[in-house]
Amino acid sequence: MTNRISRRHLLGAGAALGAASFLPVSGFAQGKHLVAATFPGTWNEAHRQYLAPAFTKRTGASVTQSILLGNDQLSRLIAAKGGKPPFDVALFDRPQVLDAAKQGLIAEYPVAKSANYKDLLPEFQDKWGPCISMQIIGIGYNPKKIKTPPKSWDALWDPQYKGRVGLTALNSQLGIAFLAEINRLRGGNEGNFEPAFKALRELLPNVGAIGANLGAYATLWQQEQVDIAPYNFNFVQTLKGKDVPVELSIPTTGPVGWTTSMHVVVNAAEPDLAVQYIDTHLDPVVQSAMLKPPYDVIPTNSKVKLEGAITNSIAKSHADLAKIRSFEWEKLNPQRGALIERFNREIKL
Amino acid sequence: MQSGDLKLVLPLAALFAVFFIAPLCVLVVMSLSTDAEMHRLTVAHYVKFFTDAFNYSILWNTIVLGVKATLLCLLFGYPIAWVCSRAKSRWQAVLLFLVILPIMTSVVVRTFSWIVILGRQGVLNQIAMGLGLTSEPLRLLFTEFGVVIVLAQVQMPLMVLPILTVMSKTDPNLADASRALGAGEWRTLWKVTLPLSLPGVIAGCILTYSASVTAFVTQTLIGGARLVYMPLHIYQQAIGANNWPFAAAISIIFMFAVLIVVYLLNLLTQVTPAAAKS
Repeated sequence: MTNRISRRHLLGAGAALGAASFLPVSGFAQGKHLVAATFPGTWNEAHRQYLAPAFTKRTGASVTQSILLGNDQLSRLIAAKGGKPPFDVALFDRPQVLDAAKQGLIAEYPVAKSANYKDLLPEFQDKWGPCISMQIIGIGYNPKKIKTPPKSWDALWDPQYKGRVGLTALNSQLGIAFLAEINRLRGGNEGNFEPAFKALRELLPNVGAIGANLGAYATLWQQEQVDIAPYNFNFVQTLKGKDVPVELSIPTTGPVGWTTSMHVVVNAAEPDLAVQYIDTHLDPVVQSAMLKPPYDVIPTNSKVKLEGAITNSIAKSHADLAKIRSFEWEKLNPQRGALIERFNREIKL
Repeated sequence: MQSGDLKLVLPLAALFAVFFIAPLCVLVVMSLSTDAEMHRLTVAHYVKFFTDAFNYSILWNTIVLGVKATLLCLLFGYPIAWVCSRAKSRWQAVLLFLVILPIMTSVVVRTFSWIVILGRQGVLNQIAMGLGLTSEPLRLLFTEFGVVIVLAQVQMPLMVLPILTVMSKTDPNLADASRALGAGEWRTLWKVTLPLSLPGVIAGCILTYSASVTAFVTQTLIGGARLVYMPLHIYQQAIGANNWPFAAAISIIFMFAVLIVVYLLNLLTQVTPAAAKS
């Protein structure tokens, strides 16, 4: 017997298959499904290794972690505004939280549904969503080339590092934070960035490379293209874990950084699961696991004992953690565009 | 064109209308809006672009970058295509495979491997220092020179393939006739092969140029943030500064700048038959 498939049947079957691919996945899957944003690099690895399994164990639901930088998440939420957002949970650094809240992209965090929220240090509680960690910047250096850890940001201007200093563009959080810190130390404020730009112009002879993004910035260290540069505690820990010669020194002017937080997106497909996911990140067991190397994710839950690399130079106690200086993002945020433009104009060869 | 032909074109036309023309219209409207919500219309973003020499310099540098990369590509690509077209069929397959090979890996991977080659501790610098040509590592990465070299390599197949296609279609008897009439190899190349292959050269230049000026990944990874070209400028305005309308306006301006160059190159094709005849 021969089965003859007519052209019409074939087209019909094809169309049916095509249509089926548009059906919601949950229709087929057992249990529910959450989509959560995460940052590239350290964060995505730590979230995949510790957060996702703990969340699934707790709720029975599965999670897809969508790897996007904070600004990219914000852009996508703006593009999808009024419709179905591309993910249920957003991961933001402090400046994006302010933008997202202002534009109505994130919902107020339902504290009552989040069992671990009350255990957070007060500095890390926020009505738009709890802080899950802090990111600290300091002076990254190559210990093979620089034997004495630099103790001041001024080391970057030392003529002996001619052509060996790295910078990152201002579209990264690290770039803006470094600019703001230098500005403060040189007598500027949020209304006057002239001291920072003057300092950067003076730094130019020393600058060997400006990474266009944080991925390219990591490559600068791996290829030993730069020996000294502002860097982020967590990125240094990750690179060290990969045997890249890099160390972080906290200047004597003290650690400075910003909070990183998680948020339930407005119109999220699974708002309750989103809260559970965020609450899982606040769980002391999960935070203790993430505090271990190579991730060294700084905890925000008061029940987590501080240990490891963080206690060497950043914070020995929860009180130290609470005291870490931050920036006035409310004033900095609106200037971001103008600062990026000024940086492009003035900081070139 | 018969109506049957038109029907065949319809699916692609519909796809283009929905996924290219419509977003392009949104982009145009966005570029003329005061804010990302597209509430009020304004030409302020275009005025801002055209009244600021800084923006001009970025646009100009991008166009010059494209021209340099295209010329370098042509310089190396043309001989490869020529050798390829004259090779025996078995060798032709091998050469063709080598030309296409780079397309088979991601542009990100290719670009990162160039970082390894051009870096301070990279292969080139190790060789130069090993041979005693320099005591300090040369600065190759984060320079326009580096970006041009990498673009030329990354886009090479786009140059070689169109030239090769035209060359292999050319009647080999024409070159034989030229030689039979007393012309040497160089004269034959200059008077016969080159004019006949011009349509391929122009097609290759158009493809290479358009790909080079818009090569965000290569430009940013090799050039770093100090060399700002239009794609990075647009990205920074859209994502870093969240200024979508201005980003849209410079995208439109950039698109027209690229189109003008492509149009000029296209004009050359109309000169080609005359060149071939001469």
